[in-house]
Amino acid sequence: MNSSLTAWLLAPAPASRTQAQLGRVYLGLRRFFSNPLTALGVTVVLAVVALAVLAPLVAPQDPLAQNLPARLQPPSAGHWLGTDELGRDMWSRIAYGARPTLLIVALVAVIVGPLGLAVGIVAGFTGGLLDRVLMRLTDMFMAFPQLVLALALAAALGAGLANAVIAIAVTSWPPYARLARSETLALRNSDFIAAIRIQGASRLRMLLRHVLPLCLPSMLVRLSLDMAGIILIAAGLGFLGLGTQPPTPEWGAMVASGRDMIVDQWWVSTLPGVAIFVTSLGLNLIGDGLRDLLDPRRS
Amino acid sequence: MAAPLVTVEDLHVTFRTPRGAVEAVRGISWTMGREKLGVVGESGSGKSVSVRALLGLVRPPGEVRAARLMLDSTDLRTLSPRQWQDVRGSRITMVMQDPRFSLNPVMPVGVQIAEALRAHRRVSRREAQQRTLDVLASVHIRDPARVFAAYPHELSGGMGQRAMIAMMLIAEPELLIADEPTSALDGSVGAQVLSVMDELVQRRGMGLILISHDLDLVARFCDRVLIMYRGRIVETLAATDLAQARHPYTQALLACRPRLGERRAALPVMDRAALEALTPE
Amino acid sequence: MIVVDQLGVRFGAHQAVRDVSFRVAAGESYGLVGESGSGKSTVLRALVGLVAAWSGQMSVGGEALGPHRNRAFYRQVQMVFQDPYGSLHPRQTIDRQLGEPLAIHGLPDRERLKLRALEEVGLGADFRFRFPHQLSGGQRQRVAIARAIITRPRVLLLDEPTSALDVSIQAEILNLLRTLQARLGLTFILVSHDLAVVGHMCDRIGVMREGTLIHEAAPDDLANAAISTGIDA
Repeated sequence: MNSSLTAWLLAPAPASRTQAQLGRVYLGLRRFFSNPLTALGVTVVLAVVALAVLAPLVAPQDPLAQNLPARLQPPSAGHWLGTDELGRDMWSRIAYGARPTLLIVALVAVIVGPLGLAVGIVAGFTGGLLDRVLMRLTDMFMAFPQLVLALALAAALGAGLANAVIAIAVTSWPPYARLARSETLALRNSDFIAAIRIQGASRLRMLLRHVLPLCLPSMLVRLSLDMAGIILIAAGLGFLGLGTQPPTPEWGAMVASGRDMIVDQWWVSTLPGVAIFVTSLGLNLIGDGLRDLLDPRRS
Repeated sequence: MAAPLVTVEDLHVTFRTPRGAVEAVRGISWTMGREKLGVVGESGSGKSVSVRALLGLVRPPGEVRAARLMLDSTDLRTLSPRQWQDVRGSRITMVMQDPRFSLNPVMPVGVQIAEALRAHRRVSRREAQQRTLDVLASVHIRDPARVFAAYPHELSGGMGQRAMIAMMLIAEPELLIADEPTSALDGSVGAQVLSVMDELVQRRGMGLILISHDLDLVARFCDRVLIMYRGRIVETLAATDLAQARHPYTQALLACRPRLGERRAALPVMDRAALEALTPE
Repeated sequence: MIVVDQLGVRFGAHQAVRDVSFRVAAGESYGLVGESGSGKSTVLRALVGLVAAWSGQMSVGGEALGPHRNRAFYRQVQMVFQDPYGSLHPRQTIDRQLGEPLAIHGLPDRERLKLRALEEVGLGADFRFRFPHQLSGGQRQRVAIARAIITRPRVLLLDEPTSALDVSIQAEILNLLRTLQARLGLTFILVSHDLAVVGHMCDRIGVMREGTLIHEAAPDDLANAAISTGIDA
């Protein structure tokens, strides 16, 4: 990196808020990427995202095009990852299959994070009856095993990507509320919050401008670690036929469709399974890296 | 003159950080006998780190180098972890600032003390228990049996600190180190704790190192005082000679305290630039 | 300026403050001294509105205080807390933290006011965009003081402002507070367990023990009297 830019970012007396915050971001990124495993995780996830976005360019064939005479072919020059039971190119299906998976993960994250934060912060800061009501609500959802409830909801709502997202989101948000609430409770008694209160700040201002930014790091860490698990749930739903419907390629469904032939034509089930594993691992590594970065206990 | 209890010669403690090496202690030398030595300094002076080097408690990324580091005739620089176990807690012990954090919160106090004894001396459980009760009585705890069975959080600050002292003295060490033992305690309670330590140290003929930021406290309590600033010892004097201190830092430290009964317009403030020039990197 | 009459504060079953009464004239510096648990900080917190349930009467500038405080009150009364490591928001720049009170009260000309506040507490403009973890304890406390005086209050409540600082830094901060009091015509209530600090800074001192005010005197009288209250001297 250009050394004068670095000097500017790390200046001991920044001249503007932007400079100070960019400097902090820069230091954070440097620390984040100094861990090789984290860098690996980021690379993997970025590769998967690129795969999903660039699928039309990367996939040599139409993922939906059936070619029965060429069914169940092992990996070869013509089909890099072989063909499935309907003769469709595995590589193309895996590439396109990244889309529903990532879409589910992204949508769940976008719903669950803010929802859990909002509930948790409000409950923690307000206390009293509202806190108890919100926490009992949270408890209700947490009482069910996540996968079971997601399955039940997806089955009740019907198949499809949107319903899968709803089912997973509904069962995933409670821990975020809990986390945000416990952080808010701790912050509520801190001197700097008291200092803002005695400036005459309104409750809303305190929550949004002072408490929320401090609850974000742990939420982000939890989110990235959770996403790895969400992928598995999404795949599970797909496996049971509750996610996106055929013929749209989806990794979980692809694993399911190959399970009768797992011994002889192993690639049909295994390769989508590897894709799930790799993506999940990448997200896990990112989550670990974020936690090491943002854990306030480390200096 | 009797052989010194502790000999430190040219002690350096350096911490290697990503931003470069930080020298917390820059070549200090001192000796002590069986007396009460005070080490005074502000934050960043290196007082705690230098004394912890005596206990082998400076861990990587800290590095300790010294020409001599001796307890009696034992060379502390070359001890193996095994040998340290025989020294720490047995020949040198340390009382720290807050008993709430230095006592195990989930064990009754008496059990911890007895265990501390049994770690270093071969005594039966019954004898350890008896000796624990004895040592609790010696720190002026009126109901040793009750305190024996109590958990740390059930004790007041002063009582907890005395229990800590009991635990540190039960193995009859040669040297007791007290790192800000009364900073977390109120005035009268702190004075009580210090007098207990004083009595025990005199009675057993031990050495005591008292680390503190409070010059007045150290002057009242100790025989000699070392003043540390920026990793060096800037002055050594007898506690009674404190008012005749010659080094500008010591003088500034004495002068800048507010005093009851004196309403000066402004408190004298340290000229840090001048002091830094006197104690270069 | 400040009148406290028979103040009582109860936390659950524990009576933290009992029947405390004192007055502070405008421009005066009043000290509250006592050991931990004596209730001295609680009195301050009740005054500033951080305590929910209190009994008795309190008034500032002639206006009686009710269970809640409003923004106008906070323009007149500000507080500096004990722990320099806890009283600043860890993730906001100094500039932002100084700007918060200005934004809340809708004061114009914020650039100038922030720079003025930093200069008044002896910190240069260099410090504006740093984060609290980049500052030493003494510097943080200066920022806390700057934040407290930036809206030009009339009353400054100080809760053990130097207890967590080295004695040489304490001297600097106490001098700073003295200077600011003279320059801005502030009324102080200074709470401390250290009788010497209070004796140096204050015109009158109230000694508290176990929730009540047991003695009130000028510093010289206290120095001469036999102090059996067991406080640092």
